[in-house]
Amino acid sequence: MNPVLETIDLQMIYHVGKVDVPALRGATLQVEPGEYVAIMGPSGCGKSTFLHIVGGMLKPTSGRVMIEGEDLTAMTDAQRTDLRRRKIGFVFQRFNLFPTLTAEGNLKLAERIYSGKDNRDSARRREVLKVLGLEDKMDHKPLELSGGEQQRVAIARAVINRPAIILADEPTGNLDTENSDVVLTMMQQLNKEFRQTIIMITHNAEAAARADRIIEMRDGHVVRSTVSSEAIQGRL
Amino acid sequence: MDSLIAANISQRPMRTAISITGVALGVILVTLFVGLSRGMMRDAAERQANVDAEIRFLPSGNVSLAGNPLMLPSRYAGALLRGVRPTAEDPDIEPKPAIEGLAEVSPVGEYVQGSVAGIGFEMVDGLDYPSFTSTTHLTITRGRGLKDGLTPETEYEAIVDHYYADSGKDIDGQPVHVGSRITVLGHTFTVVGVYEPSVLARVKIPLHTMQQLLGGVENCTYLLVKCERPELADKVLQDLRHYYPGNNVILTADIPALYSQTLAPVEIFLKVVIGLGLIISVLVILLAMYTTIIERTREIGILKSLGASRGFIVMTIEKEAAMISALGVVLGFGVALIGKLAIEANTRLMIDLEPRWLLIAALVGLFGGVLGAIYPALRAANLDPVEAISYD
Repeated sequence: MNPVLETIDLQMIYHVGKVDVPALRGATLQVEPGEYVAIMGPSGCGKSTFLHIVGGMLKPTSGRVMIEGEDLTAMTDAQRTDLRRRKIGFVFQRFNLFPTLTAEGNLKLAERIYSGKDNRDSARRREVLKVLGLEDKMDHKPLELSGGEQQRVAIARAVINRPAIILADEPTGNLDTENSDVVLTMMQQLNKEFRQTIIMITHNAEAAARADRIIEMRDGHVVRSTVSSEAIQGRL
Repeated sequence: MDSLIAANISQRPMRTAISITGVALGVILVTLFVGLSRGMMRDAAERQANVDAEIRFLPSGNVSLAGNPLMLPSRYAGALLRGVRPTAEDPDIEPKPAIEGLAEVSPVGEYVQGSVAGIGFEMVDGLDYPSFTSTTHLTITRGRGLKDGLTPETEYEAIVDHYYADSGKDIDGQPVHVGSRITVLGHTFTVVGVYEPSVLARVKIPLHTMQQLLGGVENCTYLLVKCERPELADKVLQDLRHYYPGNNVILTADIPALYSQTLAPVEIFLKVVIGLGLIISVLVILLAMYTTIIERTREIGILKSLGASRGFIVMTIEKEAAMISALGVVLGFGVALIGKLAIEANTRLMIDLEPRWLLIAALVGLFGGVLGAIYPALRAANLDPVEAISYD
């Protein structure tokens, strides 16, 4: 099976004034379709840079990124934006919902960006929100929702257009234990039931343990890839 | 609210209101100034059209239809009708024959005074009343016509047209009627009659009085020349030009064309007003949208993370600007309409809201808004997505 994501010797150097700051020093990784991968590592090890490059928001200094066979690194800005629109869904630590739009409005906006037109059929939005336990919150604005609910709306927005990969950057970083658990359960559910590929950055070992595989990064390198204990337990 | 644009507009109601007001200001400026100049010109042209005399005889120099001083000796009227012969007082005068085909010649004095209402100007005619009524189809509907103004009893008498009587106020602030006192050329006149239709100036006083008030010389501004039959106009015109060279002799039918020439500087003024309206709209929207972009940097980052193209972001901001501008145009038209009604009710100024100029005013507001949003929109579209989404 072809990997949904493949990074080869990915390097990223930030130029801060006259100083070069390396963030990635040859990160190589493969993610299979339907896989749930957690990336861990200390602050400054290059996790977020890696996620932004994979999501097409940054262009690496060198190396290659292949998403479903498309070479992201050979693309122009506009082409990367287009690929992001078609194949990537982002979930951020700070939810990043539009505060002026309702939960459904946030989903509609994502649909509109994806398809270029308004989707008047709310069936898909309703279905996704139902899976995430938010069917009664469609008309609520973000400030009328709890942190956990906001993050679930953000996940719903990320999956609404059926992306190839969901990139989650510390999705439970702003949540309490209870809400974290709900969000992680939902992500697991999306992965298991819909074979949704998820790559999640986290500092939280318990959150990482929910993934199939844990990638450890250090100093801009992928240093270890291990099958998580939960995954092992699940297989037994 | 699911529309991002509508939601953005309603998110900051005060800023949106200020932006809308700014655009409306430009629209009001264009609508009212253009409407005022067009209305006044149309009104003046209509009043010119009610003159029966086929020819206008003006002194030498540039032909202007807006208030020449009294430069033409009034005795020209008699000379045209009866000819000129040497006399004992003036034995060297060049004899001239009477112009054939003339029915009447009327000397008219014309003076521009500041409007009594305090806004703009208004014309006053000085008439030789009997000859004037023969060269126009002026009819007295209330009161009586003017006398010669030679006696103290008739010196400060005036007649006004129906519009003046219906819309004006006298010295005491009461509606104008026969017997009212009004201010003309800085003096108090008594209204002795109301006439229709509107011909030339709305207020008319005896020519003799005007001459006395303006220096005592027996001059007029121009002569209205009425032919025995309209078809004689060209021949009379040629004869007048032949026997009285150096003067300006024009057909009444050519006056609209002369008005167009007079309008040329007005058109330049209107273009300046339109330019100002455009600049106001551009600056207001530029400032509003620029502030918006800085405030919404993070939201633009979210749009980029969702895969929104530069075109999508530019169009989102441009649509928002266009919607604000459209609301500004609507508000501007509303205020302009109220302004028109208020001005026309309280002054004798006429404001024409012509569809063509309303369209131009709308385009000025909309185009200005869209133009003003271009820079903020491009700036937003070119934001770095990672920096934008991390913006606090």
